[in-house]
Amino acid sequence: MSKISKVPRFLEEAAKAMAGTSRVESRDMLAMQVLALIPQGAAVFCAEQTEMEKIIAPLLQNRVADYRKATVTVEQASGAIAETGSIVCTSEAAKSLQASLLPSHHIAVVASDMIFTDLDAFFASWSSEPPTHITLITGPSRTADIELNLVVGVHGPEKLDIVLF
Amino acid sequence: MRIQLFGTCLVDALFPQVGESLLRIFETYGVETDFPQGQTCCGQPAYNAGYHKEARKAAEHFLEVFAGSDLIVTPSGSCAAMVKHHYTRLFQDDAELLAKAEETAGRVYELTQFLVHVLHLPEKGLRGKGKVTYHSSCHLTRMLGVCEEPLLLLKSMQGLEFIPLPDTTRCCGFGGVFMAKLPEISMALSSEKADDILLSGADTVTGCDAGCLMNIADGLKKKGSSVNVKHIAELIAEGL
Amino acid sequence: MSSQTSLDFRKNAAAALKDGSLRAAMQNATGAISRKRGDAMTQVDFEALREQASTIRMKVLDNLQMYVDRFSDNARKTGAVVHHASDASEARGIISDILKSRKVKLVAKSKSMISEEIQLNERLKEEGLEVIETDLGEYIIQLAGESPSHILAPAIHKSRQQVGKLFTEKLCCDYTEDPQTLTKIARKVLREKFIRADAGISGANFALSESGSIVILTNEGNGRMVTSLPPLHVAVLSIEKMLPSIRDLSPFLRLLPRSATGQVLSSYVSIITGTRKGGETTGAQELHIVLLDGGRSEIVKGAYREILKCIRCSACMNVCPVYRTIGGHAYGWTYPGPMGIILTNLLTGLENAHPLADASTLCGACNEVCPVKIPLMDLILKLRVDKISAGLAPAAMTWGMRLFGAAAASPTLFSSSKRLAHTFWPLIRWMGGKDVAGRLPEPSVSPLRRRLK
Repeated sequence: MSKISKVPRFLEEAAKAMAGTSRVESRDMLAMQVLALIPQGAAVFCAEQTEMEKIIAPLLQNRVADYRKATVTVEQASGAIAETGSIVCTSEAAKSLQASLLPSHHIAVVASDMIFTDLDAFFASWSSEPPTHITLITGPSRTADIELNLVVGVHGPEKLDIVLF
Repeated sequence: MRIQLFGTCLVDALFPQVGESLLRIFETYGVETDFPQGQTCCGQPAYNAGYHKEARKAAEHFLEVFAGSDLIVTPSGSCAAMVKHHYTRLFQDDAELLAKAEETAGRVYELTQFLVHVLHLPEKGLRGKGKVTYHSSCHLTRMLGVCEEPLLLLKSMQGLEFIPLPDTTRCCGFGGVFMAKLPEISMALSSEKADDILLSGADTVTGCDAGCLMNIADGLKKKGSSVNVKHIAELIAEGL
Repeated sequence: MSSQTSLDFRKNAAAALKDGSLRAAMQNATGAISRKRGDAMTQVDFEALREQASTIRMKVLDNLQMYVDRFSDNARKTGAVVHHASDASEARGIISDILKSRKVKLVAKSKSMISEEIQLNERLKEEGLEVIETDLGEYIIQLAGESPSHILAPAIHKSRQQVGKLFTEKLCCDYTEDPQTLTKIARKVLREKFIRADAGISGANFALSESGSIVILTNEGNGRMVTSLPPLHVAVLSIEKMLPSIRDLSPFLRLLPRSATGQVLSSYVSIITGTRKGGETTGAQELHIVLLDGGRSEIVKGAYREILKCIRCSACMNVCPVYRTIGGHAYGWTYPGPMGIILTNLLTGLENAHPLADASTLCGACNEVCPVKIPLMDLILKLRVDKISAGLAPAAMTWGMRLFGAAAASPTLFSSSKRLAHTFWPLIRWMGGKDVAGRLPEPSVSPLRRRLK
């Protein structure tokens, strides 16, 4: 799969997994796109650790310092996998694990050149000493435990928006 | 050409009309049929119940009775599967019998395999009647891989309206000794199969295994249904 | 905990068959889930994938102890404490001791079939701990005081009305039977438990030997919560869950979600390697991994070893005509359906579970769908052979089969037995009962062989 086809494949699979997807052509547009996804007045958490988070964070309205009090978390994912439409979050660089888990809306930004073609390519990139947590996130949380009726939004986020840049 | 007919104990004892239908078909299409009188049972009831010693006795006898070079044709998917797949397992420790089993397995044809691939009956203008649906027996489809042949035959029969059966490969609940060991579950499964048949709107249900058909007939009878239950051999013979 | 035992299988099954709402629930659910599985498998080369997966699993089973030792060493290097439990009782003791020593009061649990197998919850409750199941299906049956009836969808046997009534009764909320609303109620109740929990207990879908990592697939997010919110995380898994390394995960991540629910991938795949490292401020501070043998190191040496390839996808039970009709409780133990027939006999002993060996029509549907190519039908057949050798088959059956064997080898005896059957048909019908002989047609007075003489 070429780099060009990885992006459409990723967006397609992520959408099938019920994630909201969008793409911006340049980093300058990224903050605007993220802001457009945040509901009016929502309490937002952003750890402001990565380069992109540092660009976006100052522009956020109604920021909270504790993600337990947030309804939206904005964070940068370290990678993505085209085959499954997954984003990858890890515990590297002391990233918080629960920031993208507790609030009901998760907005993840990820660089297009960090998209892996498939699971094999992704796993091959890890040495025998992975970080404490690697989490593949594919769409919002869900269950079918009652009569196999699909319900979106259980313990994890009810909404996942992915913005590619 | 000449074939040896393995009637199977169910057909022999309970459904001889299926055997007679076979003979009429073979006669019509120029197949000389030998029915070795020494035949008994392929041993499947014992084998499936875990009595492999007894199954071996039946299997050894079968190999003896059906020795030769003719094709062996049988109107049962599960019996054909028994001979073709399980006999070699029974004789793993006996090189001579193993060789015999392998050789014999190569000559065994389930009826619709024979009718389609050897006699090419779908091209010979078969005739039928009524609205017919088809139950895919488990061993026939999953062990022998015979999925298309019965459909080719039925769909080629002029005057017969073929109606697909929903969930056709779902087990009817016969399972050989299962129907005796766990009759409650067996009857529940034949009842569900009967529901599907009634829903299909067919006036006849057919299949390639007398055991399944017998169980399905019971399921239909318990619902007071008048849907006919006939082996595919009977349907073809009726149209000759 | 189920009060039904495997020895009462026939009785259990007959009772389940009379439960109309159970039958409807089972038919609908297993039908839907099997269709989803079928659709999802068209996306991949199923045969090639399962051959690949089977090969990896057999490679591990061929050297299981080595992979277990390697896992233990590497997990310890990353900060985990690794415990080896030879049986259920030892496992319960180890976990109980860990929790007691940390003065744990509230435990949040994500799904673990092993914890069911060792009856962990009962033990912890006896010790005065509050244990909350957080997987929605497990939570529902915990409220109902029942055991799971399916290894993936534990409450598959319950209708939405039954869940609605249960919630109203136990949680004092307004009655609703809308699955969405019911789920939100559970989300709210359980969120508080996640935050307050002193410890999280999870299972693991796979364990990676090379890195000492455990892998947990969930859709709800409870797996992530339970393994990262409380300061203490206890993971309990059986030893055969090993894979050589992270690079072996791909075929399993392709097969398991598709086989289980028809998804491309579950919402969350968590790969956890040890405890907090350099500067990390979130995640469990303590990780205890309890590896349960429970008889598996013996099974792996024997003729049934292939059952240990099982990745707990539930595809086999979803297509099993018997399971689909009677549900899971009738099997009497933790694991139902085809894989349950085999595991229950191996882990609890033939003398306690042999009736399950009959719970199959040998239709072969399970063999067709198993993503790791376990010859389930053949192993069930083998159980029947072993059952007879162990003297557990009814004497009447054994004598009947001996007669059969003799008759099958003797054409004269065979035909005369049919004549006898015809003559004594009313007597045989009466003896066999309406449920057996009553369903057979009367033997023909003129069998085929006579007509062809």
